[in-house]
Amino acid sequence: MAKKQRGRTASSSKTETQTDSFSLMLESSDDEAPEEMTFEDSKTAAIRSMKQALETARREKELLKEKRRKRQELFQEQKKRKLLPADVLEEIDSALSKKQQQTEGEAAEEEEEGRKKRRRRDKRGHGREVSGNCTVTTVKERASASSQQQAAEDFLRSRLYGPGSCRTTSNEMLSLQNKTGRNKSAAVKFVKEDWACEEKAKAEKLRKRWIHEQQIPSC
Amino acid sequence: MGEFKVHRVRFFDYMPTAIRAMAFNSRTERLAVARTDGALEIFNFADNYFQEKVIPGQDGRAVEALCWVGRRLFSGGLNGEITEYDLENLRPRYTVEAYGGPIWTISGKGTLLAVGCEDGTVKMFEILEQRIQFQRNLDRQKGRIISLSWHPSGSLIAAGMMDMIRIFDAETGRATHRLLVERGVGAPKSKGVVVWSVVFLSDHTIISSDSAGKVQIWDGLTGTLVRTHLVTKWDVLALSVSQDESSLIAGTSEGTVVQFQFISSTVDRQEKDWVRTRTFKNHSHDVRALVHTDTAVVSGGMDTQLVVRPLLDKVEKNTHESAMRKVAFPHRSLVCCAKKAGLLLFQFPDHLELWRLGDSDGHGKPDDILPVKRKPEKLIQLKRKGEDHICCSALSPCGGWLAYSTVTSLRLYRLQNNNISITKVSKLPKDRRSAHQLCFSTDSSKLFASSSNGSVVVVALSQPECRYLHTLKPKSGSRQTVHLLAASEDGKWLATANTDCEIHVYSLGKLTLHCTVPVYSSCPTAMAINPTTSNLVVVHADQQIFEYSLVQKEYTAWSRRLQKQGLHYLWLERDTPITHVAFNPKNPAHIILHDMFMFCIIDQSLPLPEAKNVLYNQMTLRSLPEPERIRHSHAFKICKNFQHLMCVSLLEDHSLVVVERPLLDIMSQLPAPVRQKKFAT
Repeated sequence: MAKKQRGRTASSSKTETQTDSFSLMLESSDDEAPEEMTFEDSKTAAIRSMKQALETARREKELLKEKRRKRQELFQEQKKRKLLPADVLEEIDSALSKKQQQTEGEAAEEEEEGRKKRRRRDKRGHGREVSGNCTVTTVKERASASSQQQAAEDFLRSRLYGPGSCRTTSNEMLSLQNKTGRNKSAAVKFVKEDWACEEKAKAEKLRKRWIHEQQIPSC
Repeated sequence: MGEFKVHRVRFFDYMPTAIRAMAFNSRTERLAVARTDGALEIFNFADNYFQEKVIPGQDGRAVEALCWVGRRLFSGGLNGEITEYDLENLRPRYTVEAYGGPIWTISGKGTLLAVGCEDGTVKMFEILEQRIQFQRNLDRQKGRIISLSWHPSGSLIAAGMMDMIRIFDAETGRATHRLLVERGVGAPKSKGVVVWSVVFLSDHTIISSDSAGKVQIWDGLTGTLVRTHLVTKWDVLALSVSQDESSLIAGTSEGTVVQFQFISSTVDRQEKDWVRTRTFKNHSHDVRALVHTDTAVVSGGMDTQLVVRPLLDKVEKNTHESAMRKVAFPHRSLVCCAKKAGLLLFQFPDHLELWRLGDSDGHGKPDDILPVKRKPEKLIQLKRKGEDHICCSALSPCGGWLAYSTVTSLRLYRLQNNNISITKVSKLPKDRRSAHQLCFSTDSSKLFASSSNGSVVVVALSQPECRYLHTLKPKSGSRQTVHLLAASEDGKWLATANTDCEIHVYSLGKLTLHCTVPVYSSCPTAMAINPTTSNLVVVHADQQIFEYSLVQKEYTAWSRRLQKQGLHYLWLERDTPITHVAFNPKNPAHIILHDMFMFCIIDQSLPLPEAKNVLYNQMTLRSLPEPERIRHSHAFKICKNFQHLMCVSLLEDHSLVVVERPLLDIMSQLPAPVRQKKFAT
């Protein structure tokens, strides 16, 4: 992606330079009165300008190549720096093999113990102990678990209460019960509290403004 | 009965949550009920359907399925975890991640636990002594596993999925059959049919219920459809079969429960068939969970009520057993009343509310409504910390201390009432992590907290620091937690009751066990110590009342007389337990009791009602002239003017506080029911 972009910018700059040179030529020809020119002259001039353009393109390409090479070198350098020196690596390798030999030599019981320890370490869950007091835990897995839970709950809700589930409100059910029941009584909920919220808020605002306006002339 | 000024409190917006899953243990006769907020309740069907235990919920623990394995209880939830519960210490024992996404169903057989997951796997867990261990996966399927059922032999499992039922061989883990469930008529193609529940019978019949409103009967050996019963236009959400596999019930979104029976359709024919027989309509909303016990249909759902409907062919008609039971309120008090300060503490799962009662200076005739001079006001709304829900709370009688506990932590607060302020007492004794029940002493100097394994911790309260005093432990081997605490007014005694029906009385001066009340077979639901006579009054789940003298360490003469004569049959037929006992300081012979539908003042000086007397005689007494009344009056004075009571308590100024929560108010706040067409409406 980055490389592509880089290529694109390079090519665009190239075209720019070309157009620049053309425009320069045009300008020069625009300012002065037309001069007489032989075909040869114009041809050489054209060839020269072409050559120039080619040259610049080549130079740019080379520059780019150089840049890439340098980058590559830098990366390699960094990689090397990250790796431990070869002698250290060798040392570790030898130590490991020694340990293995040791464990192989030891009795089976101890091996089992070690396994237990490892298991215990596994049991600690996502956490892994680094030196000292700090622990490293994976955050992502838990997040995915909760998102899965959310998805499962959404599935349940959509199946039971989603579109096509033919639901009504408890208030309507209660009023129906009241209608069909033996002794009729007042409705459980007279007022729809969530009815026309915006209008109510607007009215309240207007009322406040009106009171405010009324007060100003009086004082 | 006496006249009282009554504070009629209707601002406790208690809202129970919907019942999501149920499981019945027929050996111990315990029903486990899971609610949508993750709370778990244990009902004892052998003891008048008493709600013995409550394990509070937790944020995010969306329990979807429950299952008993022996005496152990497991749950699986949409958070993808399997939880085993510690039913002695009322907390989750451990949770195990199933690593299969949300868990839809869980089913145990022998030592194996099968779990159906969102990612299409059926996971087998081995049940070990202390924990469960993952064993293997069955063949992974496309789409979620919604329901599971073991064949009684344990060799096959049926799994309900989207659009199909799969039968697995439990040994090899291979899917052997695929039964395709067809979509409902007129349903859009994109919306598949969900097999909500599936039941595998021992004769290899599979019965499924689905979102198209069908109950289908399949032959599990050949994998063919035998019969389809169209039950409803909505979903059939739950199925349950009786233990002898002769009766099946299906719960629908309409709120109906449909019974099917395995009988021959005509008298002369021999071969039997599943025939739809009865329909019960006890719910206004979706039935999400069902249990078929030997004698009854137990159902629960979105309308939050647990309904026990005895089958009339299994029980004797017109008896106490054949009556329908509805459990709408918890069998413990969620309201705490500070008698001296006139404050009320309301307990919600995620917060506490502290209210000051209103006031009125009017005088009026009985049944008048007095004008309110000062309106009741909400002083404090205290949100809980952490994700565990509140399991108990208490307010000291002076109104100066407030305590609440979750499964993991106990918190104590100091209140200043004149300039409302609340400060947390941070220096609580270290090892007092949580409590199952809290109680303050009458002089607000001590806090009693019921701790693990039936012990009670005594904490001395003082301003800068609270000091741990002692742990009271019963000598008996019971490890059940204490669910009732009652401290005497003079600070001498503390009575504790646990779900093993044991009642211990401790002497607080010496901090030793004073005596143990003889064990009665039914669980105590409420108790209190009479401030003047030091008699302990205990009410049990089977409605019996006992009075025990703490000084003489024996039942009182009144209690013996009551037992000898027996309680009135109408009193014994009430179906909600007494949840609070209080006394009238002006008249020590008065005991105030209440359940959900009535409150009662027992006058110990009056004769007990006999079976031929009218129990509810308040109206007839009122119509009689004064001298005649004495002849007709008896000890039980019952008032039903206030309904759906959460709490009845007597304040120090001799006014009565009645906290009501009408069921209609709860019903009007429930989620949407299905739209049903009624003729001529």
